[in-house]
Amino acid sequence: MIEKEYIKELAHELMFDLSEEEVVEIQKEYETFSKQLELLEKIDTKDVKPMPYPFENETNYLREDVVTHVITQEDALRNASYSKEGHFVVHKVVK
Amino acid sequence: MNYEVVIGIEIHCELKTKTKMFSGSPTSFNEPANTCVNEIDLAFPGTLPTVNKEAVRKGIMACAAFNLEIDTLLKFDRKNYYYSDLPKGFQITQQFHPLGKNGYVDIEVDGNTKRIGINRIHLEEDTAKQFHIDDETLIDFNRAGTPLIEIVSDPDMSSGSEASAYVETLRQTLLYIGVSDVKMEEGSMRCDVNISLNKPNEPYGTKVEIKNLNSISNVARAIDYEIKRQSEILDKGEKVISSTRRFDESSRTTIEMRRKEGGVDYKFFPDPNIVPIRLSDDWVKEIVNSLPELPSERKKRYKNDYGLNDNEINVYLGNRDLAELFEECMKYGDKARSISNWLITDVLAWLSKNNVEIKNSELKPKELVRMIELIEEKVISSTQGKDIVLDGIMKGELTEDIINEKGLKQVSDEGMLLEVINKVLDEQPQSIVDYANGKDRAVKFLMGQVMKKTRGQANPSLANKLIVEELAKRINK
Amino acid sequence: MEKIYKAFEKAKNDKCNAIVTLVEPKENLNKGKLSGEPIILKDNISTKGIRTTASSKILDNYYPIFDATVVEKIKAEGGVIIGKASMDELAMGGTNLAAYTGPVLNPWDYKRMSGGSSGGSAAAVASGIVSFAIGSDTGDSVRKPASFCGIVGVKPTYGRISRYGVVAYASSLDHVGYFTRNVKDASLMLEVLAGRDDKDMTSSFKEVKEYSKLLNSDVKGKKIAVFKNVIDSLDNENTLNLFNDLLNKLKEKGAIIEEVSFDNDLMRTLFPVYFIIANCEATSNHSNLDGLRFGVSEDGDDTREVVINSRTKGFGSLIRKRFVIGSFGLHEENQEKVFKKAQRIRRLIVEEVKKCLEEYDCLIAPASNDIAPLLEGNKIDELSDKYLIAENHMVIGNFTGYPSMTVPMGFEKGCPIGVNITCKAFDEENMFNIGLAIEESTGLKDLVAKVD
Ligand SMILES: [Mg+2]
Ligand SMILES: [Zn+2]
Repeated sequence: MIEKEYIKELAHELMFDLSEEEVVEIQKEYETFSKQLELLEKIDTKDVKPMPYPFENETNYLREDVVTHVITQEDALRNASYSKEGHFVVHKVVK
Repeated sequence: MNYEVVIGIEIHCELKTKTKMFSGSPTSFNEPANTCVNEIDLAFPGTLPTVNKEAVRKGIMACAAFNLEIDTLLKFDRKNYYYSDLPKGFQITQQFHPLGKNGYVDIEVDGNTKRIGINRIHLEEDTAKQFHIDDETLIDFNRAGTPLIEIVSDPDMSSGSEASAYVETLRQTLLYIGVSDVKMEEGSMRCDVNISLNKPNEPYGTKVEIKNLNSISNVARAIDYEIKRQSEILDKGEKVISSTRRFDESSRTTIEMRRKEGGVDYKFFPDPNIVPIRLSDDWVKEIVNSLPELPSERKKRYKNDYGLNDNEINVYLGNRDLAELFEECMKYGDKARSISNWLITDVLAWLSKNNVEIKNSELKPKELVRMIELIEEKVISSTQGKDIVLDGIMKGELTEDIINEKGLKQVSDEGMLLEVINKVLDEQPQSIVDYANGKDRAVKFLMGQVMKKTRGQANPSLANKLIVEELAKRINK
Repeated sequence: MEKIYKAFEKAKNDKCNAIVTLVEPKENLNKGKLSGEPIILKDNISTKGIRTTASSKILDNYYPIFDATVVEKIKAEGGVIIGKASMDELAMGGTNLAAYTGPVLNPWDYKRMSGGSSGGSAAAVASGIVSFAIGSDTGDSVRKPASFCGIVGVKPTYGRISRYGVVAYASSLDHVGYFTRNVKDASLMLEVLAGRDDKDMTSSFKEVKEYSKLLNSDVKGKKIAVFKNVIDSLDNENTLNLFNDLLNKLKEKGAIIEEVSFDNDLMRTLFPVYFIIANCEATSNHSNLDGLRFGVSEDGDDTREVVINSRTKGFGSLIRKRFVIGSFGLHEENQEKVFKKAQRIRRLIVEEVKKCLEEYDCLIAPASNDIAPLLEGNKIDELSDKYLIAENHMVIGNFTGYPSMTVPMGFEKGCPIGVNITCKAFDEENMFNIGLAIEESTGLKDLVAKVD
């Protein structure tokens, strides 16, 4: 069983909220998930390294230090909800 | 009660590159907000990082300068946390495989040398700049993605003076090898200090972190204050609280920003978008071998070869451009002491008065040396050098041209000088009386008159000698 | 341009809810492999000045300022983009029921799903709007909907096609893939899309072959491994019959067919290993979606609250629930037994498959147990072998990065089902050749759903 408070904390660490129903759903889904985790535990992974990339061939490529691409301030701010004097603005609403 | 003080320092240092750590947009210095960015720096969806070769090169130089073992397999990890100055929601850093590890640097405190371990140097990227104004936060992403190295010391320091010597040595070295501007006031070098106190023979005490110290003197001040503060807490039998603090300039105290409870979980994992990069041994060797002279080596050379004193040497170690100018001058002359003297006093004064940076000045080193030679050969006086010639050569003119144009050559012809002196004595009979009555300053007055008549060109020591002789002749008559 | 306007009109009248954004066609004067060809893109492919939502509310107002590398390549070869297609929100799903614009319907039967997450792109090709559509494949997100929609779905080798500009889901599993209605077109499309891109450090330097010219259906002597664990987990007889018929025909063409079994305990981890790696990487990749620089921004008392509100309202329920799993798996105290454990098992699986493909030219299995499920279908037991293995075996292509494609195999109740093949790394030439042999064996080519 996974605690409701823990679920909410996990969500908050990723900066979002959950409704009470969603928390309950996660608790339920976690039951299945934890059984799937048991399937993992059955596999002996002693001395097996984690595999973070599909191919682990090393590359030699490094980007040369030459300006290749810069955008205009207008393009930078084009998608911002709020901007001011060339800056992105986080607008705080005082209730 | 006396406590053992344990200090470790983390330094973030912006690398001098043309482009960002993971994108091909330009690094900026005081450019208008959000003009040195592209979609990668702003973390638009679908963008991917690419590793800047020059940043890696400069990182390797820093590792070499501080004797670190260099890992030729370059790997990057994600440090996940949310903050509005961190566009991707994670910082790409090298948590698990730093570029360099296990190095050291020797520092000097009160004439003694101490070796400070450097635990690691790793590459990472800087965040955006934020401005909090009333109920708004303004964000400028020009700095976002700027290459950084983080230099983490071992907890080997035990006083404010050791810590400041360590930071100064690092600063000088990084400046000398040209990897960074290391301007603490402007934030291109930032310093976090970890400090704890414990009773002798007991385990380390609770660690307190002082963040973002912006000058070397503040490093020492903050540590001295913190030692005092923590000692008082421990003396009372109380516990030091694990916290992050900042140094307050005006009160010269440290102020708690937040407590550390359980630590933040950054959920580190290898960045799947950057496969391990193998650096060729030849390339790394080439970088290490082409490392410029380190300040510690230069210090020895200036002392042994040029006989400069510690004060002079320190000026050069703190000012690489001036040191380069000195090196240039030494190509044209061998009078190290007097060249150095002119540079440190008169040239620096001229530059600051005229608000010119060394690298933008038009001074030709050869001309400065020539002027010094002519002074020593008594062709011109040092007053003429300071007042007239220096200003010209600082603007790119030639020493000889100035002397000729302004007629500055000293009159060292005895006959000519005697003629002028006698004329002056004829005009100033009172001075002769004064001198006869033992008033020595009459000579100074007469000297002034001679200089006036020769438009400053009289060889001062010769003129002085002749005035005294002529006075004696007249009094004895 | 006539073909393009025709396609555009069809896209306008799309009945599957497949198109999110119509793009007014602009004439492309570039002559190339896609001259005059209308193209539809999954809505997670960045298009300059064209809305790109990844079917998430948080990106509802997002207009990229740059083109993804694949978009540049399509334009360079004369292709014309006419629309952006629906998908599961942020590509996190396998049904295309989780798009914030609503489910995509299967063009063969509107009561059924298209499959996901590239369901809109698949439906657009299957219903005859376009011959080419781009998708992305992190688990089986191109190959599964291809199977449900009766078309060809290709996921080439990891690094073969640049991911630059494709909204990331799980970077170590993400592939750009695509849909066509026949193998010949599929081989041609890879020539257009593949190649080294300096903007993507995982992109390969290997040369791109002229796959369409090398195409050859001769499978004489080719060694084909039948994925026995999948066959054993299937319970749909029709699917098995279609599959066995196909194997017999390939045998007649001279292919050597042998069964290969992997450790079944290992195969039962396919789904959880995928689920963990994908969700963990996704939580990190999607941390940029905070409403501050782009996307829908909600109000709040302070910066933190602005971000929390934007993310809470911007992400669907399913996404937030999966993020919780990702957050859980990466947590310091869980990382070893969840995320890293999954990554270690990934290595074991990859090593097994690699060994197998050193001996065989391809690994073959039905793409799934059944035809496309009904929109309101029965829930499958998520601990059964049918679910863990038969429905999810195609993630092997994402774990290994090996090229994998789905080709139509037959029909049940008037709806198609496909067969999947997986080959050695960068062996797309061989994959297309075997794919062509399958296509010739089944005769199922250029299928278009009869949309009423
Ligand atoms: Mg640190
Ligand atoms: Zn750092």
